[in-house]
Amino acid sequence: MSDSDTNRPRATLDKIADRLLDATLYERIGIAIGSTGLALLIGLVVVAAAGHNPLLFAQQLVVGSFGSTGAFTRTLRFTTLFILAGVAVAIAFRAGVFNIGVQGQLIVGGIACVLSIIWLAPFVPAGAVGGVGLTLVGLLAAVVAGGLYAALPGVLKAYYGANEIITTIMLNFIAIGIVGWAVDGPLRPDDARSVRTEYLPEGVAFPQLVFSDPNFSIVGLALALAVVGVVAVGMARTSFGYDMVTSGYQTSAARFAGVDPQRTIVATMTLSGMVAGLVGAVFAIMVQGYFIDPSGIGTYGFDAIAVSLLAANNPVGVVPASLLFGALESSGSHVQIHSDVPVQLIDGIVGVVVLFVAAPELFRMIAKRTGLGGDRR
Amino acid sequence: MSLATDSSQRRLQLGGLALIAVVAFAAVVTIWFDVALERILTVGFVNRTLMLASPIALAAVGGLYAEKSGVFNIGLEGFMIFGAITAAATLSLVGGTTQLHVWLAIVVAIGVSLALTAGYAVLLIRYKADQIVAGLAVWFMGLGFAPFLASLLWGTVRSPGLASMNRYSIPYLAEVPVVGPILFRQSPLVLVTIVLVVAAWVVLYRTRYGYWIQAAGENPTALDTAGVDVNRVRYATVLFSGAMAGLGGAVLLAHAGTFIGTGDTMVDGRGWIAIVAYLFGNYNPLGAALAALLFGGLEGLQVQFQTVDIAVSGRLMGLLPYVGVIVVLTIWGKTRMPASVGEPYESED
Repeated sequence: MSDSDTNRPRATLDKIADRLLDATLYERIGIAIGSTGLALLIGLVVVAAAGHNPLLFAQQLVVGSFGSTGAFTRTLRFTTLFILAGVAVAIAFRAGVFNIGVQGQLIVGGIACVLSIIWLAPFVPAGAVGGVGLTLVGLLAAVVAGGLYAALPGVLKAYYGANEIITTIMLNFIAIGIVGWAVDGPLRPDDARSVRTEYLPEGVAFPQLVFSDPNFSIVGLALALAVVGVVAVGMARTSFGYDMVTSGYQTSAARFAGVDPQRTIVATMTLSGMVAGLVGAVFAIMVQGYFIDPSGIGTYGFDAIAVSLLAANNPVGVVPASLLFGALESSGSHVQIHSDVPVQLIDGIVGVVVLFVAAPELFRMIAKRTGLGGDRR
Repeated sequence: MSLATDSSQRRLQLGGLALIAVVAFAAVVTIWFDVALERILTVGFVNRTLMLASPIALAAVGGLYAEKSGVFNIGLEGFMIFGAITAAATLSLVGGTTQLHVWLAIVVAIGVSLALTAGYAVLLIRYKADQIVAGLAVWFMGLGFAPFLASLLWGTVRSPGLASMNRYSIPYLAEVPVVGPILFRQSPLVLVTIVLVVAAWVVLYRTRYGYWIQAAGENPTALDTAGVDVNRVRYATVLFSGAMAGLGGAVLLAHAGTFIGTGDTMVDGRGWIAIVAYLFGNYNPLGAALAALLFGGLEGLQVQFQTVDIAVSGRLMGLLPYVGVIVVLTIWGKTRMPASVGEPYESED
């Protein structure tokens, strides 16, 4: 490339961005559906091999996720968490930064949310206004804490070359260890029979507008969808989002166009961690009402990796993928009670989904062999 | 070449620094808590460190072979989990209580890991799967299927007490102070690890096949031109890495005697630590094993502190290896990877 023509790198970036936006959309949807379908099929085969009735299991998956109002709100509850966590992963992956630390960041965000609310509660008048104020403070604290906890591996990657996959995984272990120690030690009230922090004060909750599930509020879902909107627009329409996405796909071209790769990495990780922190806050406020030993919290941050990959790291695509994973997780609660099939199978199926998503060539070959998918490559 | 020697020299210095840091840390601890150093650095501590380091060293040697040949096997952690659960399931199914049964369980674990890795290798090499995402998938599958299998077998994700590997003891020699208990009253699996590490070094640096492996990662086109099938070499190293990780998991189980499937399972990040161990060891099997010793030692400190009644939470002490990993990666993150890591190779013909 000659540097005589300064418009050329920009033009290259434009071309890359255009190509990423259109084309392959149908192919990606096909791969997502194929991966999920095939993984579920393998799950059913495993159920049969373990000596259980696969059809019964399949039925329980459906009943446990959409079979009743209770099951449906539970599905929406998990969907809300997966949307936020999925967006957190998508922000990073889209920019070519592998943030595997969403689980740790949501733990740090969740505990920061709970602590800030509990510490501030004595200074705030009781009642609705105080409750709303505390809720907002909690959300803010979670966003800040999650962002900072993600900024650390971002800085280590950008300026010291430390592989972010490994540092974020280590930081997950460290977050679980330290928060788990604190919740069982200094933060545990004397009268608590289980390992937990104090309860959040009365007024701190998302209002119940539509459903009467104590662990789900439509406000939480609306918040998650709002984040999707902001991130999607931010990625597609702002210059920062543009820099982020292009530096993920074409590092050298982006650098040539004047994008500072180090700062982009740190900013990306921070942004991703901020959304991850929000997951922790929504979990603490909407679902739990206090904080527990994080080793007992659902692995939303890990499953979110599958959610994001299934959505080809597109924030809007995260929504349907989250509904699918929310349904799977929700049916897990049902399976655990009503089925002899160990519920961990669902985690295994999630792993298989990720494996298939990693190998689009496999599906291209299947499509070619079976004549499906016409003349697409 | 001068670049390589430069980096290995710098690495030696860093290794020395790390050692000094560990000693300084130990000194601070002893002065602060008023505990004699010899109560921390006991023969038992050395033995425990060797046992804790073995699974990490095994997986690290496997992982570095794969990466040397140009394939990043990020699934080490997952294969370790599969190795551990396979060994536990085998022991439980054959109802084995003897040492022979433990060896059998280890062999079965290697076999199952090989079979699983074969499928993984095909996805990576033939279908050019994203190596990072596929490796994560192996981990997730391990985190799901291992507790699933445990629940099927035992009703909970934790196995009952199973047979574990005993130490051998050589009469008279084991009585020699310090050296005796370390060399002559030891887990045979520690010896197996040492032998495999040395053998891996010899093969990688002193045999023709070792040069092929290095060439497959550095300059696959040249290797292809020389008439060697690049992908065949890569299949071999990926299979080897899966087998070694599976062996590492099985060794972990054979030392522990119980499978634990809660949280991140009993493997608990050791596969990831193994990756850092070989990065720190500059892709050299001996270096990787030394790095594994460092991480094993950090883990062993936890027990040492408990035995001398230093009142630090065991849970917090258990985080030392993870902190150590981040420190190592930060100081020595810019490792020079083999040139063609992560790139699928397609022959011209």
